[in-house]
Amino acid sequence: MEEKYIICEDSLEGIFTAIYDAYALREGHERLHVQVGETDNYRLFATYLHSQPDFGKTEKVVRTLQSRLGEHVYGSICRAAASDGADKGDAVYHTVVDGITDGHGERTMENLRNPYVARTFALARRTANEVNHELEFIRFQELKQGILYARIGPENNVMPFVMPHFADRLAPEDFMIHDENRGLFGVHPARGEWYLVSGVEQEAEEMQEVVQYSDKEQQYQELFSLFHKTIAIKERGNKRLQQQMLPLRFREYMTEFQRREDSGS
Amino acid sequence: MEVKIAPQMSLMDKLKILADAAKYDVSCSSSGSSRKNDGTGIGNTVAAGLCHSFGADGRCISLLKILFTNECIYDCRYCINRRSNDVPRASFTPDEVCELTMEFYRRNYIEGLFLSSGILYSPNYTMELICETVHKLRTVHRFQGYVHVKAIPGADPLLIQRAGYLADRMSVNLEMATAEGLREMAPNKHRKTILKPMRQIQNGIVENKNELTLYKHAPHFCEAGQSTQMVVGALPESDYQVMSVAESLYEKFSLKRVYYSAFVNVNEDKQLPSITAGPPLLREHRLYQADWLLRFYGFKVDELLTKERPNFNMAIDPKADWAVRHLEVFPVEINRADYRLLLRVPGIGVKSARRIITARRFGNLTFEDLKKMGIVLKRALYFITCSGRMMYPTKLDETYIVQNLTYQNQMGKGERLPFLMDGTPYRQMSLFDEGQMLDDTRNFVNVCSSKTTGDSRITGNSVITGDSKITGNSVITGDSKITGNSVITGDSRITGNSMITGDSKTEGVLYTA
Ligand code: SF4
Repeated sequence: MEEKYIICEDSLEGIFTAIYDAYALREGHERLHVQVGETDNYRLFATYLHSQPDFGKTEKVVRTLQSRLGEHVYGSICRAAASDGADKGDAVYHTVVDGITDGHGERTMENLRNPYVARTFALARRTANEVNHELEFIRFQELKQGILYARIGPENNVMPFVMPHFADRLAPEDFMIHDENRGLFGVHPARGEWYLVSGVEQEAEEMQEVVQYSDKEQQYQELFSLFHKTIAIKERGNKRLQQQMLPLRFREYMTEFQRREDSGS
Repeated sequence: MEVKIAPQMSLMDKLKILADAAKYDVSCSSSGSSRKNDGTGIGNTVAAGLCHSFGADGRCISLLKILFTNECIYDCRYCINRRSNDVPRASFTPDEVCELTMEFYRRNYIEGLFLSSGILYSPNYTMELICETVHKLRTVHRFQGYVHVKAIPGADPLLIQRAGYLADRMSVNLEMATAEGLREMAPNKHRKTILKPMRQIQNGIVENKNELTLYKHAPHFCEAGQSTQMVVGALPESDYQVMSVAESLYEKFSLKRVYYSAFVNVNEDKQLPSITAGPPLLREHRLYQADWLLRFYGFKVDELLTKERPNFNMAIDPKADWAVRHLEVFPVEINRADYRLLLRVPGIGVKSARRIITARRFGNLTFEDLKKMGIVLKRALYFITCSGRMMYPTKLDETYIVQNLTYQNQMGKGERLPFLMDGTPYRQMSLFDEGQMLDDTRNFVNVCSSKTTGDSRITGNSVITGDSKITGNSVITGDSKITGNSVITGDSRITGNSMITGDSKTEGVLYTA
């Protein structure tokens, strides 16, 4: 039998719908693959099917995964699906097969000998690491209206994992996180529920231009930059270690690494 | 006491002085508390802690680490703030500390506050100021993030208790490993007055745990436990002494963390180790590695060091050092060994040992599987078998393994540093750190003479104190210090800030930045 590829949208909904469709084919899983986004590398002897994200199918898959695999495995699957791995669709799909069809259930993520599980594990870890970095490195700036605003440029789609943390921590604040790589906003009204907004990239660009910071914003940025500089021990200087712990790509968004025209020293 | 501060000093100036004065306190951890926001203010805490930035020294910046004041009535020899120093002095007001904490926290610069202080007028006066500040932060500003405060030795137990109910973590610094050392370095401090609040906090935590099981809503007392710190390298205490003290602090005082601080001679005290050699970072690194082994790997100090062998091997990390001295235990079979034994294998950490235990239930593991699980096979391969087979045919021989382990350059992606060993065993070799453990120094230290004949690439900050001969083309990008007489005959490129103080000869072309 030839290989079959189910092509789906790059989203959790897209991948879960494709998994639903794959199971619906009832053909055995070995030669079946889930591919996120179009490929430019079509194989001659393979069939390509297209799957449209479907809310109902997604819900069913979510419920099945949560009840049969448990929160832990489900969490890994979601993080892997949010990663930027080009092969994530297939990894996640076959991990689900390992868990449900092969019956490893809540222990699925331990079966690292299955290459798909190992891949899902690695991708989930990539996302988790970046989520953790963003929890640490995100910098909010206070706008005139008192709203806290942060820009990020993550490799993986970290927003769904980052928002709950800040929604709890900054509960009384209005804040907004802007993923510039995906044109995605996480919005939190003070004491309210957070939500995601996408497809407003143009407004975002315009916003950049009209954005006005609060009167005190500049002062706190300077205070923190000063603190950051002062707290390092000169005799222990180790920029290499610093770079290893704090990858350069985060720094363009971080207050303390911005060059300031007015820094006197 | 004479007040030397102009009252109109700006917040900026104060922060500069009081952050600078606080930077030698090592702890910046924000771990150990796990608290959700209760809806009345901002803040929560995360059990594992978060590091919000890293300074130019590579250390984590998690908390707003400041002194309340750098005024001090004491005169500790190692301290920049001691009474006899003529340094600019400043004091915050409680409101200023609250404002900085709240505004930094909202912007996600920090996880919370670490408030320490010089002794202003008296221990009680100082402790009271600390309490007042944190009380304001917790009640007026409803701050629910992490707070670490110093307990000032000699302060009234009631004040210490009050602080404990406001803070997530408290610490009292032991300062020196031995009581005599303390007497010499800090004439106004006494071991007893340091241990007293430490004991009080320990008891407070235990009582609080009991309270909390009875009344779920009882207030927390130092939920994240207590820590302490010792300065190493100022006095000639041995690693064995330092680690034994650490062990008993963990066992008898239930400390969460003991920190080691490589001595920096800030006061240029002539009788103390000089500043030009730089702080003993590699030694400090070894102490942290050993500390890790005590806390997570089930090691005892007596397994690592003895009276006869009182200091760590600078050439290899303590765990590898233990392993090569206990070859009778190896090789360990990955598919059968229990957790404790797996933890003894160099290259296998706590996480990977757990992964092995769970993954092998699904079938026998191969070296390929191990690699995927993050086991550092380069290090482990001498000590393990998979289904009875070793990865390569290799000798179970101490010198051979040590040579190979020290060859491994963890700094550049697995490339080997072509150091020749003069035919002599590892004591004369270059040193590299285990990538798996606390990677905080990444410095290359060569204490003895070395001869390098290949092309070298030294990317960490290096200290070479012996007479060295480097004949290949060298690239040194870290900040290096070469104090011996070195001969470098290849073309060299040194881009870091290097200091070469011996009579060194460079025969090739030397590029420096
Ligand atoms: S008590 Fe000693 S260590 Fe503490 S600030 Fe005063 S002089 Fe420095």
